[in-house]
Amino acid sequence: MTGGRRRILVIEDDRETADHLVDALTRSGYQVDFAADGNDGLRGASSLEYAVIVVDRMLPGIDGLTIIRKLRENNIMTPALIVSALGEVDDRVRGLRAGGDDYLVKPFAFAELLARVEALARRSDTVAKDTVLRVGDLELDLVARTARRSGREIELLPREFQVLEYLVRNQGQVVPRAMLLQHVWDLHFDPTTNIIDVYLGRVRRKVDGQQAYPLIHTVRGVGYCVRAAR
Amino acid sequence: MSALLAKTLKSSTLKRALIFIAVFGAIVVVLFSFVHGSTVSYVRSRTDEMIMSEVVILKGAYARGGRDALIGVIAKRIDDEHFNDSVYLLADASFSPIAGNLATWPSGLRERNGLGDFSSEDQTRDAVNRRPMRASVDTLEDGTRLLVGKDIETLDQFVFSIRLALGLSISLLFVIAGAVSISVARRTVGRIESINAASRAIMQTGLDRRIPLRGTHDEWDELAGNLNSMLSRIEALMGEVKQFSDNVAHDLRTPLARMRGRLEKAWYDRQLDDKTVISDTIADLDDVLVMFSSLLRISQIEAHDQTAAFRAIDLGEIVREVVELFDAAAEENGVSLDANGDCGVMINGDRDLLFDALSNLVDNSIKHGRKGGRVSLAVTANDGGATVCVSDDGPGIPVEERQHVFKRFYRLEQSRATSGYGLGLSLVAAVARLHGATIEMLDKCPGLEFRLCFPKVVLSETRDTAE
Repeated sequence: MTGGRRRILVIEDDRETADHLVDALTRSGYQVDFAADGNDGLRGASSLEYAVIVVDRMLPGIDGLTIIRKLRENNIMTPALIVSALGEVDDRVRGLRAGGDDYLVKPFAFAELLARVEALARRSDTVAKDTVLRVGDLELDLVARTARRSGREIELLPREFQVLEYLVRNQGQVVPRAMLLQHVWDLHFDPTTNIIDVYLGRVRRKVDGQQAYPLIHTVRGVGYCVRAAR
Repeated sequence: MSALLAKTLKSSTLKRALIFIAVFGAIVVVLFSFVHGSTVSYVRSRTDEMIMSEVVILKGAYARGGRDALIGVIAKRIDDEHFNDSVYLLADASFSPIAGNLATWPSGLRERNGLGDFSSEDQTRDAVNRRPMRASVDTLEDGTRLLVGKDIETLDQFVFSIRLALGLSISLLFVIAGAVSISVARRTVGRIESINAASRAIMQTGLDRRIPLRGTHDEWDELAGNLNSMLSRIEALMGEVKQFSDNVAHDLRTPLARMRGRLEKAWYDRQLDDKTVISDTIADLDDVLVMFSSLLRISQIEAHDQTAAFRAIDLGEIVREVVELFDAAAEENGVSLDANGDCGVMINGDRDLLFDALSNLVDNSIKHGRKGGRVSLAVTANDGGATVCVSDDGPGIPVEERQHVFKRFYRLEQSRATSGYGLGLSLVAAVARLHGATIEMLDKCPGLEFRLCFPKVVLSETRDTAE
């Protein structure tokens, strides 16, 4: 998806979490800078161009939301992922209002963080205006809203098509359940029921049933990933 | 008792009462001095007028008949008992008495004519009886001098009794006001003290005690009654919190114990390179985290007023979307799921929360309803409000359990085996409360219907916009 290595700034005061984040992001091919408090973080974010800033909500010095607000005031529009141990509904709204772009509640699976970071990093890329998406032998016609696998049409409900389209657009990436819910249903909460899994189960039966290899993979505890067989 | 008195003396009621007594007392003293002053001067001027009219009469007699006529009138006056409080004396230029009922010319009244005071020594009786007098002195044409006076002892007595009456009433006023304010303050302090004592006892021993009522139905009883109902509410809440933490502890222990056992086994089992231990543990941890976020979500909905984020939303649309989302789950359970009713039923609300709440109701109905049964949703608009019904044809919920199902972690015996933490209906209840909606549970025989009634609302201006 991206050409070379991309820079990410991690602003996190908890040493262990920070090490874990820097390690894992570096292994995923990012060039990671790290700041341990709000002031350093704000300086770093203002002076260098980053693909994504991962910022903790509560920080010594300046808190995460203020950092983002100040960056936006200075017209620095780098996408930001707010990571917080505070609760969800109310804080999420406040975080996004401050100009942050996404929100993740601690503790989280690293795969989910990576999925969100990559989604944010892609946002700055130009979106391809494809009319047909392909993965393996699956073909989605975005104009006719039809899906074919090995040339045979798959019957999908409109919402099922949207789910599949979102997964295929992010092929190779893990898509967390909450992100699916957000982008397909426009719902902003982590569901308290396992309904997304059941829903995806049916989409998967339709797409992968009686096929040579599966395309939709479950990433346990996180979400789903569409990937062609290697 | 002396402690009560000390508190009474320090009480704000008494202090205030004393300030008012001082202010009113000062006003009364000023008023009484004015009454006293004007009464005395009025009585004095009346005496002076009486003396002066006598003088006019006597002078008239003198002018008409000379000294002899005057002496005659004086003699007549002295004999007349109507004039026995009067004194008359006619004397020559050297103050030697000529006629009258005074033995000597008073020494204080020799210098000048006009009105003046003196005291007489009444020598008509055996004892020497000094009496206060007021008299007018005039020099007649032939050089003789005329003194006309009145006994003013009665006047002095009158003034004295006025002073006594005023003084006594002021003192009485102060004494009564003081006593009344002390008793009122004491009563107030006494009632407050009994409430204070009960509060201290409650703080020390526990919430089961109550403030005693006196049965007087006055404001103190009302206060005590209100405090008591507050205590009952706190006691009930404390009970709920205890029940709640017991449940959290229990529901946490189970997965934590599982995880611990698994990790312990992995630690001792050297050959183990199977990753399922780790992935199972992560899955268990995720379950616990889901439980925590559900709990946090419910408390957040309950604690914060999120009505500011309300938008005009279409309940019918949400119901259709929920049904569409659960279609797969229903299919898996062999349940037929359908939605009917009005479209475009608009209410003010939070789409995310309503979606989650309805999802929980539908999820419950599919899980706990009859296998191969039917779950239906219905939306109806009524009187500006709206009703959403979610019904199944399963075993239902026993009537005696219904009041408990909205409690956090409460699970029916029959559903212990299914997954979940018993938080779904608590979330539904919290969301309903936030929206001012009531929840009813109706028997469908067979089955159960949850009915959410949303109140009549004025819709927000802004339509819910997709982000």
